[in-house]
Amino acid sequence: MAHNFRTDVAIDWCPGCGDFGILTALTQAFTELNLDPKNLAMVSGIGCSGKTPHYINAAGMHTLHGRGIPFATGLKLANPNLKVVLTGGDGDLLSIGAGHFVAEGRRNTGITVVLFDNQVYGLTKGQAAPTMALGMQTKSLTRPNVFGQVNPVALALASGYTFVARGFSFDTKQLKEIVKRSIMHDGSSLIDVLQPCPTYNNINTMEVYRQKVYKLEDDKSWNPTVNESNVDHYEDIYQRAFVKALEMDKRIPTGVFYENNTIPSFPRRLNEHVKDYLSSPPALQAVQKNGKSLVDPANSFADKILQ
Amino acid sequence: MENVDLSIVIGGPQGGGIDTASSMISKAFTYSGYQVISVREFHSNIKGRHSYIHLRVKNSPVRSVRYPVDILVALDPDTIFEHHEDISKGTRILYDADFETSELSQARMIMRDTSRRIKEMLESTGHTLNVKGVLEYMKSKGAVPIPVSFGNVVSEAVSDGTPTRYFNTFGAAATLAVLGIDKNYVEKVIRSVFGNKEKVIGPNIKVVDAAYDYCSKNKLRIKNLPDLEMGKKMLLTGNDGSAIGKVIGGLRFQTYYPITPASDESTILEEHEELKWMEGENTNLITGGVTVVQAEDEISAINMASGAAMTGTRSATATSGPGFSLMAEAISFAGMDEIPLVVTLYQRGGPSTGLPTRNGQSDLLFALHTGHGEFPRIVISSGDVKECIEDSVRALNYAQRYQLPVIHLIDKNLANTTELVDIPDASSLKVQEPDKSDGKDSFSRFTLDTKNGISPIGFFGRDIFWLTGDEHDEKGHVTEDTWMRDRQMEKRFLKIETCEKEVPMSERAVVIGPSSADVTFMTWGSQKGLVLDVIDALGKKGIKANLLYLKMFEPFPSEFVSEVLKKAKKVIGVESNMTAQACKVIKMNTGIGIENLILKYNGRHVTEDEVMDASLRIIEKKEKVVVLKNGA
Ligand SMILES: Cc1ncc(C[n+]2csc(CCOP(=O)(O)OP(=O)(O)O)c2C)c(N)n1
Ligand code: SF4
Ligand SMILES: [Mg+2]
Repeated sequence: MAHNFRTDVAIDWCPGCGDFGILTALTQAFTELNLDPKNLAMVSGIGCSGKTPHYINAAGMHTLHGRGIPFATGLKLANPNLKVVLTGGDGDLLSIGAGHFVAEGRRNTGITVVLFDNQVYGLTKGQAAPTMALGMQTKSLTRPNVFGQVNPVALALASGYTFVARGFSFDTKQLKEIVKRSIMHDGSSLIDVLQPCPTYNNINTMEVYRQKVYKLEDDKSWNPTVNESNVDHYEDIYQRAFVKALEMDKRIPTGVFYENNTIPSFPRRLNEHVKDYLSSPPALQAVQKNGKSLVDPANSFADKILQ
Repeated sequence: MENVDLSIVIGGPQGGGIDTASSMISKAFTYSGYQVISVREFHSNIKGRHSYIHLRVKNSPVRSVRYPVDILVALDPDTIFEHHEDISKGTRILYDADFETSELSQARMIMRDTSRRIKEMLESTGHTLNVKGVLEYMKSKGAVPIPVSFGNVVSEAVSDGTPTRYFNTFGAAATLAVLGIDKNYVEKVIRSVFGNKEKVIGPNIKVVDAAYDYCSKNKLRIKNLPDLEMGKKMLLTGNDGSAIGKVIGGLRFQTYYPITPASDESTILEEHEELKWMEGENTNLITGGVTVVQAEDEISAINMASGAAMTGTRSATATSGPGFSLMAEAISFAGMDEIPLVVTLYQRGGPSTGLPTRNGQSDLLFALHTGHGEFPRIVISSGDVKECIEDSVRALNYAQRYQLPVIHLIDKNLANTTELVDIPDASSLKVQEPDKSDGKDSFSRFTLDTKNGISPIGFFGRDIFWLTGDEHDEKGHVTEDTWMRDRQMEKRFLKIETCEKEVPMSERAVVIGPSSADVTFMTWGSQKGLVLDVIDALGKKGIKANLLYLKMFEPFPSEFVSEVLKKAKKVIGVESNMTAQACKVIKMNTGIGIENLILKYNGRHVTEDEVMDASLRIIEKKEKVVVLKNGA
């Protein structure tokens, strides 16, 4: 029987929270992909979003606020056979962890980053997150937001993520398909998920989003994918993704903005330099036999010997 | 054979080939069978400011450097200005004759306050404010200037129009000629330093010939050092030692963000990422190497290493003060989640950016307390290159055995000091595996069912379990249950008791020298060899001394240290910091205070002569605290 990827840990998100839909989409995607739960690593930072790994029956790492990406990168680079999925908040990934978010694009390690975009800091009671628009005032804010808004899709495109998409937590079917594609993609993915927070965000509610969202794939001519065969059109595809990314006001596109299969992932780049990296990654190497090192220091550091 | 004990400083502008010159000198002495140590001092600057290498050569083991020097080699005028006090009767000053007219006011790369102090000295002793004046001053102390027109001699030997490119080779070769080292060794060195770049080797050998001819024609030779037997050895810095120890100990994943003096270690690992296996092993079956990753910052570096560690990979990061400050939260996470993680902490002069390229031992208390909350950790320190190798292996073992962050302290002085060491015997160093999960589905990562606090570890890719920075239950899920909280806290700290039972005292603290003595020194880190040299010198004066040498600061060997100090008659603490941090740790753990202190916090390496002098002031003149001042 296929694994259903659910634990019996009691879920303590608020009733009606968009996080439930994301959890459903994730676990359904894992089941449909028939992933081996031992080969799946769930990583998160801190926030309501950060609790997700405990609800999923796969090895999970609920780490530090903003630091999910470094932990996920370490897991993936030490054992590139792992499927690594990160669930993070907008404060987590775009404020305290923003440096890592950009660096991950440069690396293109091959992790799936699921951004729980609720425009607020849920777990610390509703402060403005970097995705909240300038001047917006949700009910928990004492004054309108005085910060400008970060566009996660545009930032991911600019940073180098090779799979960039947006989902809506109340469209689990579309989100599940996006998650599946991102996991199969050899490179890093950003999935920006519009995630209503009924407790603190009374402006961008489920109803508001339902009216605004439309699917990119409904336009039959929409092709976000760069392959070896159409790599000559790379610039057009990349630019169109940016144009769509900037559409954020009256209507909000969901679906896959950009997918580039021609840029090698970080493990592939390392494999060019570190001998046998992919066939014998760090986690799978023997280091000792009968308590003795396998490394011969004289030979490994022969250049340091004088004789 | 008579005792050979030579002290040399070779100085020049940063980026002017000082390292190469020093390496030539070290290697030539090594080839002719002598023991060498060399300490590197440099500014936080890429080109132009004064940098120098302080070497000592002996025909017996050498473990410290000393002033005054026997030879001062100046590749720029600044070196003569900066080192005017580091000479004595008979010191040879080898320099470019062209420097003589250089004015102090034109030496813009000398720090303003240094320049002012030199000016005051020259004025008060009635010398002109230029190299000529400072040389006169040095002559009045008995030094012997040897002006050589570098430009003329080198241009005669090679005519490629860029004689200055060879000044470092010339300086090194002239030094070796003055000391009577066989020229053949110097040529061998040139080949070893420049690899197989024939185009570079040819002219450099001509420059060596020219230096030897010049010195012999002008009768500059002051010694005739005979050849000694040379074994097969390695010439290694502390950075090298740590890197080598790590791969012996099974390190396969290292992260870093560039910082002096730590990143050299990661570069060395990257250069040697392809590992070679022990003979007799089925080398077809063993593959792989070390993966080194430059992270976007130190927060990322340490957390990446933690992530990697949870796949069963032996993982580490290396940094120094500023980076380590950024790592505090992650250390706490590794403590809470029992992650086998090694952080090599290269100490430099703080606070803040401080003295970025200079020595310091001021991060000990920080290393003991980094991170919020209470959690177990291990903190160890190394004192010479051999220890760097062994301790890096041990650090990885401790991390695996006790599943916690291990902080390995190495000071900048040790990181950048080159020593001649035996090739490490990997078979004498144990590589320890952790207690691992049985691989069953019922696995509980943080099981309370342990006698020693060590719950078998699970790995991503192999087991299903959870980690969280929150307090957690046996599976690793968040809990705020009071009973479970108490049990998990107790379980984590029980590992420290286990560690104390299992780790031999020889890895934690030792007494070197006679078990009873008139004076007991206490030190840690790179002063170790130097204090031992001072102890020998005091012995010759009829003062019996020994050394309490500390290696493990957490868990602290309180009982052992307490016993030693209770028996000691007079204790002198020697540290490279202002607040005597190791003495504080001793006091905290044993209640015993150390009143007599020799401290240095100007960032420069400690030298044997100044510690000897300070010790005598404390022993004979009853002074309590002596602050050391040596160093350009
Ligand atoms: C270093 C650090 N600073 C602050 C916090 C407190 N904190 C916990 S959750 C959170 C914000 C969470 O917001 P977001 O990342 O958007 O996640 P959400 O709860 O909205 O899913 C903060 C600031 C922390 N845990 N760690
Ligand atoms: S605070 Fe908001 S984001 Fe957090 S659980 Fe409640 S509804 Fe969801
Ligand atoms: Mg949020």
